[in-house]
Amino acid sequence: MGPTTNNPLKLQIKRTHIWYVFLIVVISLFLLRAFYLQVIRYNFYHKAALSDQLKEYEIPAERGVIKAHMGDGTVPIVLNEKLFTIYADPSLIKKPDEVASALADALGGRPSEYKEKITKEGSRYAVLSRKVSKETKEALLKRKFPGIGAEEQHYRTYPNSQLASQVLGFVNNDGRGVYGIEQALNNTLAGTPGQLKAVTDINGVPLAASHGNVLQQPKPGKDITLTIDVGMQKQLETILKAGVQNAKAPSGSALIMDPYTGAVKAMANYPTYNPASYADVDNVNLFDNPAVGHSIEVGSIMKALTTAAALDSGAIKTNSSYYDPSKYVIDDFTVKNIEEDGGPGVKNVADILNLSLNTGATWELMQMGGGQLNQQGREKWHDYMVNRFLFGQPTGIEQSIESEGIVPSPEDNGAGINLTYANTAFGQAMTATPIQMGAALSAVLNGGTYYKPTLVDSYTSSNGTTTKNQPKVVKKDIVSAQTGREMIPLMEYVVQKHYFKQNFDQKTYAVGGKTGTAQIAKATGGGYEENDYNGTYMGFVGGDKPQYVIVVFVNRPKIAGYAGSQAAQPIFGDLAHMLIDDFSVIPKTK
Amino acid sequence: MTYSSSLAVGRKSAGLSRNQNTASFRGREKALGPISNTVILIVLACLLGMLYLTQVTKTNAYGYKVNSLQQQQSQLKEEHDDLEVASARLQSVDRVQESDAAKSMTNVRPEATLQD
Repeated sequence: MGPTTNNPLKLQIKRTHIWYVFLIVVISLFLLRAFYLQVIRYNFYHKAALSDQLKEYEIPAERGVIKAHMGDGTVPIVLNEKLFTIYADPSLIKKPDEVASALADALGGRPSEYKEKITKEGSRYAVLSRKVSKETKEALLKRKFPGIGAEEQHYRTYPNSQLASQVLGFVNNDGRGVYGIEQALNNTLAGTPGQLKAVTDINGVPLAASHGNVLQQPKPGKDITLTIDVGMQKQLETILKAGVQNAKAPSGSALIMDPYTGAVKAMANYPTYNPASYADVDNVNLFDNPAVGHSIEVGSIMKALTTAAALDSGAIKTNSSYYDPSKYVIDDFTVKNIEEDGGPGVKNVADILNLSLNTGATWELMQMGGGQLNQQGREKWHDYMVNRFLFGQPTGIEQSIESEGIVPSPEDNGAGINLTYANTAFGQAMTATPIQMGAALSAVLNGGTYYKPTLVDSYTSSNGTTTKNQPKVVKKDIVSAQTGREMIPLMEYVVQKHYFKQNFDQKTYAVGGKTGTAQIAKATGGGYEENDYNGTYMGFVGGDKPQYVIVVFVNRPKIAGYAGSQAAQPIFGDLAHMLIDDFSVIPKTK
Repeated sequence: MTYSSSLAVGRKSAGLSRNQNTASFRGREKALGPISNTVILIVLACLLGMLYLTQVTKTNAYGYKVNSLQQQQSQLKEEHDDLEVASARLQSVDRVQESDAAKSMTNVRPEATLQD
């Protein structure tokens, strides 16, 4: 018998082949379609997916905190606070009366005011309240009113209200520092924003496995600790306000600084403002810091520096005396003294400061010129003013706006240069700011080292590393150490001879100073105002060596008497007593 | 030739002696055909795909965990910042000045100083 016929087998194989071909065709169709979608149309679908899934946004950096000293420690005086803006979409509001009532209960104000906002036709966004706390926002949103929402915003917060407001400045709605330290050190405080670019899920959560994710963490801004002492600042502001009001003046400035480091311990102006409510301030001039930004003709406080320059240049000695004619006619104008200084007579260097003799300061300038007002004397005094006391240029203190002040050139301009320079010897015909005067006096009293005035004590980065801001020596030997030592008793003599409502125990503490009653140049030019003056005072408090330098400016006081002694001097006196009573002034040992 | 004699010839030619079991069942070698190859490849590809999906899903799951931890960290930081603000307000100069403790204090001028 032969092998069985294989027709059924052949049929089976044929059917298998057909199915096989069919399978190949179907799979090929799928592959072709997949190729079309994923290769030919790749760009289109990739773009469509990314537009929905790819999130790219800047991650804001946290702004640095500003701290100040309080005794031996530090306290934050400017911080960041997250608050909320409550808004409404009027088109979604269902029961306006009920909603308005609930809003008034939660946010304060009247229901009618809210009703007006939430029923406004055509509006899709109405701000109901800003700077709302988290608790209030959560209580309100719990009611689940349709159309009521909240968005978070970061604000700067000032626990000490108006304290040092003009020194600090504020941050505007764009997150940028404006005025004061906030503007001057904006880049340091602002940090660097981060970036997130990632494919996310429907909830916006980045998918860790997706390629090309970019995550740059934000770099928080540095915290800054100021040289300001909160207790000293508060007392200075209180004393300044009382003094300016008592002097019936519209404004005033004062500062206290360390003459051996340039650190500003307190700096204030009156009137001031609350930086948390800067948007409500009508007079934008309040944002300025006049202690740094407004220069004026400083008046007779300059005589302390004129005397220092004359002593240091060897033109005079501390025991020098001279015949004071009580007036000099210079370039057809008369330089004279106030009536109370008496008539002509023999005067000495101590009298020039104590009696505030304009003629005495002019005499000192003459001595710098070898006995008369001339180019030599003018150039020598100009050198002291510009190259040693550094007038006519900014100090570089960390503030947004600083005035340089003006120092006239010593060159003969054919327009009465000798008269001009005689005026500069007693603080007229030149301008300076309180901080420039404080820095210059500090340099004289500490023996000749000019330190850059500073408001910054240290910087702290987000990882906790603190970098101390070292005192910066701008110039050395601006006067000799001996000149510095000689100036102290001369200025102490002035305080001893002037009236203070509470005297100083000068056996225990060294308190020295100089008054200034400065004429005010007419805004239209052509001389000085008749009846308005600025009152100025600069001095020091210490023991064996000066520990604090104080400068006070009072603008246009209306109190009777000389502006320097009646308006500025009492403020200096109160500040000096405050420092002795509360801030560990080390008494004399010898 | 009979059946038994043909077996004998075969045995002889194979060098086998008597009483040896010359009938052995050796399976016919079967090679995989194209369909089987395709199916196996598809299955392998699917397995690889599954493996990739599990790994990606796991990584994304970690991403969610990281996100959750970051949210927790943010929340704690916010609470810390709120407490810092509250603390600063409690220490504010105005508040201290108005406190009962401060009001019951009096100014005392320094009488003497101890020197080292």
